[in-house]
Amino acid sequence: MLGISPSMALRFEVLARHNRARASRLTLPHYEALTPLFMPVGTQGTIKGLTNDQLEDLDCQIILGNTYHLALRPGADLLDTIGGLHKFMNWPRALLTDSGGFQMVSLLHLADITEEGVTFQSPVDGKPMLLTPEDSIQIQNKIGADIIMALDDVVKTTTTGPRVEEAMYRTLRWIDRCIAAHSRPHEQNLFGIVQGGLDPQLRDICLEGLVARNLPGYAIGGLAGGEGKDAFWRVVAQCTAGLPEDKPRYVMGIGFPLDIVVCTALGADMYDCVYPTRTARFGSALVSEGVLRLTHAAMATDYRPLDSSCTCMVCKRYTRAYLHTLVTKEAMGSQLVSYHNISHMMQLSRNLHSSILEGRFPDIHGGS
Amino acid sequence: MNWPRALLTDSGGFQMVSLLHLADITEEGVTFQSPVDGKPMLLTPEDSIQIQNKIGADIIMALDDVVKTTTTGPRVEEAMYRTLRWIDRCIAAHSRPHEQNLFGIVQGGLDPQLRDICLEGLVARNLPGYAIGGLAGGEGKDAFWRVVAQCTAGLPEDKPRYVMGIGFPLDIVVCTALGADMYDCVYPTRTARFGSALVSEGVLRLTHAAMATDYRPLDSSCTCMVCKRYTRAYLHTLVTKEAMGSQLVSYHNISHMMQLSRNLHSSILEGRFPEFVQSFLQKQFPKGDVPDWVCNAMDVAGIDISMCRIPQSA
Repeated sequence: MLGISPSMALRFEVLARHNRARASRLTLPHYEALTPLFMPVGTQGTIKGLTNDQLEDLDCQIILGNTYHLALRPGADLLDTIGGLHKFMNWPRALLTDSGGFQMVSLLHLADITEEGVTFQSPVDGKPMLLTPEDSIQIQNKIGADIIMALDDVVKTTTTGPRVEEAMYRTLRWIDRCIAAHSRPHEQNLFGIVQGGLDPQLRDICLEGLVARNLPGYAIGGLAGGEGKDAFWRVVAQCTAGLPEDKPRYVMGIGFPLDIVVCTALGADMYDCVYPTRTARFGSALVSEGVLRLTHAAMATDYRPLDSSCTCMVCKRYTRAYLHTLVTKEAMGSQLVSYHNISHMMQLSRNLHSSILEGRFPDIHGGS
Repeated sequence: MNWPRALLTDSGGFQMVSLLHLADITEEGVTFQSPVDGKPMLLTPEDSIQIQNKIGADIIMALDDVVKTTTTGPRVEEAMYRTLRWIDRCIAAHSRPHEQNLFGIVQGGLDPQLRDICLEGLVARNLPGYAIGGLAGGEGKDAFWRVVAQCTAGLPEDKPRYVMGIGFPLDIVVCTALGADMYDCVYPTRTARFGSALVSEGVLRLTHAAMATDYRPLDSSCTCMVCKRYTRAYLHTLVTKEAMGSQLVSYHNISHMMQLSRNLHSSILEGRFPEFVQSFLQKQFPKGDVPDWVCNAMDVAGIDISMCRIPQSA
């Protein structure tokens, strides 16, 4: 059995530090991961454009599934019957599921949040439905991911006024309901999510409340929603300072390489975002210098690989000119650029881990 | 595209006629409306060969005058003779005969006399290889195999024979028995996009409700990455909803076709082709209901499949 307390199914060892940054080993039921790490988003048990073989080749350690989408298709009961999402999609490494709440609020018409839970119109037949913290945890228990997320009351970062405070306190009340509903604490790690908007006092209250619950890990939520970058990093810094040293910290919804490097310097360990694969579908490749827009006319006669320092299959085999003809016109364009972009993020993760481990974090990330 | 193996390009003619509005065929070539700006344009045999010379494929196809197989009347004869006149223009325009092989295409509809004339004319040009065109367009299966049989009988023994537009495994097995060597079709990948997988028993429709709880691989005898890794139930959730569904089923379907190709080659090489055909038909028609056209074709091919017409016990 993993962990140092009965409510944990993970082991987190900090192997090296540079100031606030950590390089760690996160041992989960299905996989031993090294952090900092980026988690690609697999929505419904697949990452658009990439096969599981490719995800393993790219060395993805943890992939994220969206509970809302999985509950719709293939459905929680079917996953329960077959023994969980790992078996269903035949993914031998780690999985993380979100609570379903965020998707509902952002995707569904007339979604509303009450003390009971998230009320929404069923996308199947339009009838009113309710997702409670208990429901979310039960569904996630059936999906079987290594890490599951508490249902939180998340507000847009640009929201002001009493709603922010209400959401923060509700998140604390809901975490207790999530903990009570969690039927597999020895196999799945329930992470709490710190809310409180951009208000340091609210964030402090939430931090204190969640840390007191002694959860296996913590996420910093409610960011990546339109707030200014200055406010963003300050909230991350406050949260990492207030969270326990010996537990993983996950900043939700972060995918720009620059943001990941900054959050790592501030003491975070895990990140997820649809950005790398989504931007691939629009023809943008992530490269050392930033973002390469393959749709640009100049790409038509550029016979170099996407990124001269990348060793992925796409950079070894194809030119910018070839990819230029495919992007936004052929599915293969999305696939190949997605493959490269995920490779880029995995390489970034490895670079962050090894540079901290080897004591050269400032050199790698302080230059030019 | 960084492809280290062989490529074949078609002439461009068929796509134009089937895809473009107001395409028309004259002695000069194929006239059509440019898809870019709607202006009238012309693709001549010379244009087609020049473009194919620039693309650089190992095998290039002559521009032919192809009519729908269901066409009757003088148009069929006109098209056949024009194809013969155009092959000479293609040959003359071909600037890279030592690097690229120009195949002629036998036309003539379903008329044996027209086919004979075309065969004679093309064989006399001593081309590196030959295609049997103008089929796979809605003709009955009985007419189809007879044209293939006639053409393979009339083409030289020592040159490859390519039946264009054929992709159903059964059709490929029959045409192989009749003496053909090469086939192409969009079918395996197209049917994958509609959620159908090619398996030993025939076609598996993954959209069917029963697939939702079927945890077997697509095909128990297939060793491809998809069959090793995924279940029918998983693929059922993806097909027609996620691009990955198309990808994975396409991957399997192409694997199926490549395995079929290897099986055809090695069974003939090892002197067990009749056994392969029998086993193939028994899997596809376990109730013994092998269609008549297949039986007739196998008769001509000299393959005994009488045991395939007996229902197999469960």
